[in-house]
Amino acid sequence: MSGTRLWISLLVAAAACILTLMLGRFGNYLMHAVVIASISALALNLLTGFCGQISFAQAALLGVGAYTAGNLGNAGWGILSIPLAGMASAAAGALIGLPALRLRGLYFAMATLAAQFIFDYAFKILDPLTHGVSGLVIKPLTLLGYVVQSDRAYAVIAIICLFVTWLTMVFIGETTLGRAFLVVRANEIVAKGMGIDVARTKLWAFAISGFFAGVAGALLAFTTRLASPEAFGLSLSIDYVAMIIVGGLGSLPGSLLGAAFVTLLPELIQRVGEALNIADILSAAREMAFGLLIIVFLIFEPRGLSALLHRLTSRDHANIAPKTPRPTSERRRSELGLKFEKVE
Amino acid sequence: MKRVIKSTVVGLALLGAWAATPALSADLSVCIWGTITGPDALVNGMSYGTRDYFEFLNQAKGGIGGNKLQILLLDGRYKLDEELKNYRRCVDQENSVYINGWSTGSVKALREQIQQDAVPFMTESFASEALDPVKLPYIFMAGPTYEQQMIIALRDLATKGGKTLVIMHPDNEYGRGPVNVVRTSGIIEKLGLNLIDTIEFPYDTQDLTAQMLRVKSKNPDMVYVQASTPQLIVVLRDAAKVGMSAKTFVGNIYNISPAIPQQLGQSAEGFRAIQVYSDFGSDIPAMKDILAFKTKNTVEKEDVYYMKGWFKGIVMSKAIEAAIAKNGGTVPSDIKAFRTSVRDQMVALKDVDVGGITPAASYADHQGSTRARIAEIKGGKYIAIGDWISAR
Repeated sequence: MSGTRLWISLLVAAAACILTLMLGRFGNYLMHAVVIASISALALNLLTGFCGQISFAQAALLGVGAYTAGNLGNAGWGILSIPLAGMASAAAGALIGLPALRLRGLYFAMATLAAQFIFDYAFKILDPLTHGVSGLVIKPLTLLGYVVQSDRAYAVIAIICLFVTWLTMVFIGETTLGRAFLVVRANEIVAKGMGIDVARTKLWAFAISGFFAGVAGALLAFTTRLASPEAFGLSLSIDYVAMIIVGGLGSLPGSLLGAAFVTLLPELIQRVGEALNIADILSAAREMAFGLLIIVFLIFEPRGLSALLHRLTSRDHANIAPKTPRPTSERRRSELGLKFEKVE
Repeated sequence: MKRVIKSTVVGLALLGAWAATPALSADLSVCIWGTITGPDALVNGMSYGTRDYFEFLNQAKGGIGGNKLQILLLDGRYKLDEELKNYRRCVDQENSVYINGWSTGSVKALREQIQQDAVPFMTESFASEALDPVKLPYIFMAGPTYEQQMIIALRDLATKGGKTLVIMHPDNEYGRGPVNVVRTSGIIEKLGLNLIDTIEFPYDTQDLTAQMLRVKSKNPDMVYVQASTPQLIVVLRDAAKVGMSAKTFVGNIYNISPAIPQQLGQSAEGFRAIQVYSDFGSDIPAMKDILAFKTKNTVEKEDVYYMKGWFKGIVMSKAIEAAIAKNGGTVPSDIKAFRTSVRDQMVALKDVDVGGITPAASYADHQGSTRARIAEIKGGKYIAIGDWISAR
């Protein structure tokens, strides 16, 4: 990672922390909601966007993180409960990834869906750890003896976690492992031919992705103060898949944009409804609008918000986004060619 | 189309700035969130009723003590994150003096924050976990808890000479929680009843024939069902399938739904449910106000849950009115002091006339009333049978 990129990331994180001072409680709630979603979206993008493993079990990993952090936090582990929650989710992620050694594509996606249901059920029946259907009430996070109560403090902690997640993702992208993810995504047979241990690469992707999903789950637990099975259902997994599609598969900034978009869209619709005095009607249309927007993106901007933003901010549009996208196979060949050079 | 997408992105960026800016709050703001859309939208008359009562005060009486109310109704979608967001908006942006929230999960998650914010909070939940006048002095409820509703049904059974009981409930918190509390409380034995079976079923069940055969084999005097309407429909449908009469079954407040007689027809005849509030259209004084309001406004839901909402509006506004009166007839400028005063006045409410929706309400115990009637489906309609029964 270049020094310039590191400094830019640091400056953006610092600016976000300063912004929390200007926001009220509601603004800070939105801030940490977006930031936590961003961490989880980055984690899923690593797995799906970079390594090509479609997963519908993101909510299960968040749940493992939330329950682990909740129990450890309640037992007085304080801030340590966040990385430990990440480790628990990393283990769960690797477990979910095991079928990936034998299954591919749609079949593997179905296996992750099954895993989501299994964890969903486990959250309900593992009473000593999860308090079953009534949910686990979680004490506020303690940091060096200080009890973290305010939304502002949680927003700052979440921003720091997002910064670390971002740096890790950028770093991984520049390592041999990161390049191996891309090759596995493009073609597993080619990857094997290149001497890449496909199974191990996939498991690493699941474990790393699981770790950061667990961190996001831990933050979610401390901000909501309640972990219940209903909060980690399939619909949340689908929300995260939507985030990385809307943001842009395989794009790190896209994950952040997608998370912000999906998290803030309901609020936007609510406010528009209030302004037009049709909040009740728009409330009912909200889920439909959400689905429609995803379809619109898939048709008109399949590379997501990141590509769109790139074009909006670019001085020379023609150099950045060709109006007619190249055929997928050509794009893949070009991409692989570039990566092969770097691997070499 | 790409312009539309671009506009959306810019719109979201603007929203960030908008959301970050505290709203210009009115002097007198009340905030409600319910499930306008979501899994339990069937009973969202509870939210519309409260909103409409406040709107009725604005239209008919110029607000409270001459102060117009700013009323905000939000959609919590029965999603915890959405409800927590709504709470912060109500407290932080709207500066609401009284908040009416929705789910049991949200009130559990918000318990400590509500105490820290010292904001009066009326919960829709009937869960006993949300009720503790000592530890949770700012949280209020609008009637008997689920456990108390069950006790009312058991009292009725014991009074009528019944002996044997079966309890059925889904495998979620709403089903399990209250049943476990009543089972372990000893009240069943104290009433001289014998619990001969407890049956748990999946909350999304579509077939309970096997369970109903088991119930039939026990031949109980009463089957108490702690479930929501969709589940109850399955229970009664399959009970009829195995030859059991709906007369044996009793449900709670959330089983007073026109959907039950509409969908089940004759199979629902004789089913009984706990009726905490008088039904929409009853011959009570409150209905006159509701009908007057209806002449100029749209009433979204005409059911017993709307009556609950109207009831909440009455008691919440009484506390606000008393707090304003205590401040010399003006709205206190310090919102914290105003909220504390409203909470104190709420607790002080005694024998408030709520237009016959429930017996007179007192809030020293944070519940208003702990009495309910039994309503029975007769000719496709719920008819109140007997007088109010106390849970205490």
